[in-house]
Amino acid sequence: MKLARIVLLISLLAGPSLQAATTVIRGPYLQSATPTSMVVRWRTDNTEGSVVSYGTERNQLTTTAKSEGISTEHIVQLNNLKPNTRYFYAVGAAPLMPPVNPNAPVAAKKAEAEDAPGRASVSSFTTPPPVGPAKPSRIWVLGDPGTKNAVQKAVRDVYYKFTANRATDLWVMLGDNAYPDGTDSDYQRAVFDIYPETLRTSPLWSVLGNHDGKSANSITQSGVYYDVFTLPSQGQAGGVMSGTEAYYAFDYANIHFICLDSHDSDRSANGAMMQWLKADLAATQRDWIIAFFHHPTYTKGTHDSDKDSDSGGRMNDMRAIFLPVLEQGGVDLVLTGHSHVYERSWLIDGHYGKSDTFAAATHVKQKQDGRADGEGAYRKPRRRTPNFGEISVVTGSAGHASSKPVALNHPAFYLSLNEAGSSVIDVDGAKLEFTFLNDKGEKRDWFTIVKE
Amino acid sequence: MSPFRCSTGQVHSFPRNVFSALSSGGLLAYVRCFNLPSRASRLAITTLLLGTAALRAHPEIEAALTRLNSAITAAPDDAELYLTRGDLYAKHDAWAAAEANYLRAAELAPSLPGLARSRGALALSTQEFTGALAHLNEALKQSPTDAEALILRVGARVALGDRGGGLADLEAALKLLPSPGPELFLTRAKLHVAPADAIASLDAAIARIGPAHTLQLRALEIEEANGFVDQALRRLDTLARQSERQEIWLKRRGDLLSRAGRHAQALEAYAAALAAVERLPQWLRDSPDSVALAAELARLTSANPPSSS
Repeated sequence: MKLARIVLLISLLAGPSLQAATTVIRGPYLQSATPTSMVVRWRTDNTEGSVVSYGTERNQLTTTAKSEGISTEHIVQLNNLKPNTRYFYAVGAAPLMPPVNPNAPVAAKKAEAEDAPGRASVSSFTTPPPVGPAKPSRIWVLGDPGTKNAVQKAVRDVYYKFTANRATDLWVMLGDNAYPDGTDSDYQRAVFDIYPETLRTSPLWSVLGNHDGKSANSITQSGVYYDVFTLPSQGQAGGVMSGTEAYYAFDYANIHFICLDSHDSDRSANGAMMQWLKADLAATQRDWIIAFFHHPTYTKGTHDSDKDSDSGGRMNDMRAIFLPVLEQGGVDLVLTGHSHVYERSWLIDGHYGKSDTFAAATHVKQKQDGRADGEGAYRKPRRRTPNFGEISVVTGSAGHASSKPVALNHPAFYLSLNEAGSSVIDVDGAKLEFTFLNDKGEKRDWFTIVKE
Repeated sequence: MSPFRCSTGQVHSFPRNVFSALSSGGLLAYVRCFNLPSRASRLAITTLLLGTAALRAHPEIEAALTRLNSAITAAPDDAELYLTRGDLYAKHDAWAAAEANYLRAAELAPSLPGLARSRGALALSTQEFTGALAHLNEALKQSPTDAEALILRVGARVALGDRGGGLADLEAALKLLPSPGPELFLTRAKLHVAPADAIASLDAAIARIGPAHTLQLRALEIEEANGFVDQALRRLDTLARQSERQEIWLKRRGDLLSRAGRHAQALEAYAAALAAVERLPQWLRDSPDSVALAAELARLTSANPPSSS
C-alpha cells in the first residue's frame, strides 16, 4: 500500500514535468487556409496528442480541435471558422494558458499573453475573407529563399521592416525553399528556423523547385516536400480539384492563384496538369489570376531560357506549352524563380519562342513602365479577356543573387537586376501593386495594374 | 500528407517524362552512347565524362558535383557516393555519366540498396527494356515493397508487351502508396483494355482520392466515346455541380444528348447553359469567351429540332 502511494505520488509529480519537457521544435505553421478553415501544423520533440486551443480572444482559447493518436508530427484542421476573423491559438496536448487574472491591469494581461518561445506561446491568424468580394490583400513572394545564409535573413528583415504592422495575408514560396537537397534538415534550417513569426501568423503556399525535388517525388506524392506541406489537393481552397498537392489552386478574396509543378509533373500538352489547368481557368470567377511555378518562361539570369538543355527543357515547356493556355485564360501575373535574379516584363502576350523571336511591336501590349508615378499604370479591362497581356516576374533571389556576372538581356523584360530580394503584391479591388525590395532595403522596382 | 518512405529510406525521382511517355504509349527515345569494356577504360572514360559533364552543368549541379567529387576523393571505395553521383547525372539526363557511376558502385557493392532500381530507371530511360526489367526484378527481389521500383517496372513490362504484368505491378504500387497522384490512376485506366474496366478503375480512384477533375474527365471521355450516354450524363451532372461555372458542362451535356438523338433534352440543356451564362457577373458575361458561348447557345436553342425520341 505504501509502495502504491509512492508510485501514485511519483506519477502525479512526473506527469506534468514530462509534459512540460515536450518542446515544439517546428512551427506552428499555417496551411491550406480557407475562409472557414485553417490547417495548423507543428512538430514536437516527443510524441503527444495533437491539440489546438483557439478562440477570438487571446485569453479565451476555449475551443479545441484535435487529431487522433499521438505523434511528433501534428496536423490539426480547424473548421467552422468565421471568414476574415482574427483567431488566437496555442498548440499542445496540455492546457496551455494559465488563467489570466481579470483584475490585472491591461498591460500586465497583455504581457502575460505575449508570444513566448516553447509550447505555451499564443499565436494568431486571420482567416481569409469570403471568396469573391475584394479586400485589400498583402502577399509576400519569396523565390529560391532557402540558402540559410545572411542574405536570406537580410531579405527577410527588409520585408519585415517594410510591412511593419501591416499583416501579411498570405505568402508564397516559389520553390527551392531549402538548399541544397530539400531534406527535412534543410527545411528546418532554411524555412522553419528562418521565418518562425510569419509561419505562425500567415498561411504559406508553396510550389516544388528542383532542389526540393531532390527529396520528393510528385508522382507518388512522397518525400520531404510533400511531408512538410499540406496543400489543397481537393479543391477545398477554391478552384477545380486537382487530386494532387503538386499542382493546385486557391482563392483569396477576389484573387485566384494557380500553382503549377514545373519540375516533376507531366508537362505535356495532353497531360493531367494541363487538363486540370484548362478546367480551372475556365471555372474561376475571380477578378485577378496569378499563376506561379518554379521554372521561368523567360530568363537571362543564372539560367538561360533560350538553352534547350538548361533545366531539362522545363523552361521551354512552361513557355511553349503552358504559357499560351495561361494567357488564353486571362492570367494577369506570372511569378517564377529558379534564376537567382529579378527580371520583370512589360505587359506582354504571345511570346512562346526563344528571345531572338521576341518582337516588341507584337508582343509588348503596353510599353509604359507600369508605374503610377512614372509613365502610368498598366490597364486591363475588368472583363476576362484572353491574351490581353500579363506581367512576367522572375523573383528568384530571396536567398541569394548570382555571384557571377549574368547576361540579364532578355528582351521581354523591362527591368533586370542581379540583386537579392523579395517581392510584395498588394491587391485592392481593381488595383494590383507590385514591389521588389532588395536586401539593402531599397525599393528597386514597382508597377501597378489597374482593371477598369 | 502522411509520410512515405521507400524501403531503402531514400527518395529518388523517376527518369524525366517516364510517366508522360507511359501515358502516350511509349518511352522517350534516348540513345545509349557506349559500353564500357574494362574497368580501367571505364574509369578513364568516367573521369573524362565527369569533367565534360561538369563543364556543361548548371551552377547548383556543379556545386553538388563538387561536393560529391570531394567526398569520393576522400572515400574512393564508398559505393553509396557513386550511386548518388549516378543519380545526380541521371536526373539531368547525362545517361553515360550516370551509367559509369552505377557500374563503379556495382563493382564495389553489387547489392547496394537502391542501386538496382537506379540502374533499372536508367535502362528504362535509354529504352533498354529487357535490361531494365532485369535490374528492376533484382531491385524488387531485394525490396518487394519498393513502390517506385514497381512503378518503373510497369514501364518495362508494358514496353515488352506484358500489359497484364504492368497492371499488376501498378496495382501493387498503388496499394503501397498512401497518397498517389491522379497520374498513376490515369495510367492504370489506360492499361485496361475494356472500357468498362477502365471506367471502373477510375471510379475506384475517385472513391480513394476524391473526384479529381482529371479522373472524372477521363471517365467522361471513355463514356462518351463508347456510347455510355446515361453514365456520361451522370458524370456531367457531377462535374457541373462541382464547378463554379456550369455553362461549359451544361453545353457539353446538350451536345451529348444531341448526338444521342435526344433533342428535346438537348434543348433543355442548352437553355440551362444559356441561363447559367446570363447569371454570370457582368464582367465575366461580357468576356469574349462568354459572349461567343452565349451566341452559340442562343443559336442552338432557337433551332427547332425534331422532338425527343
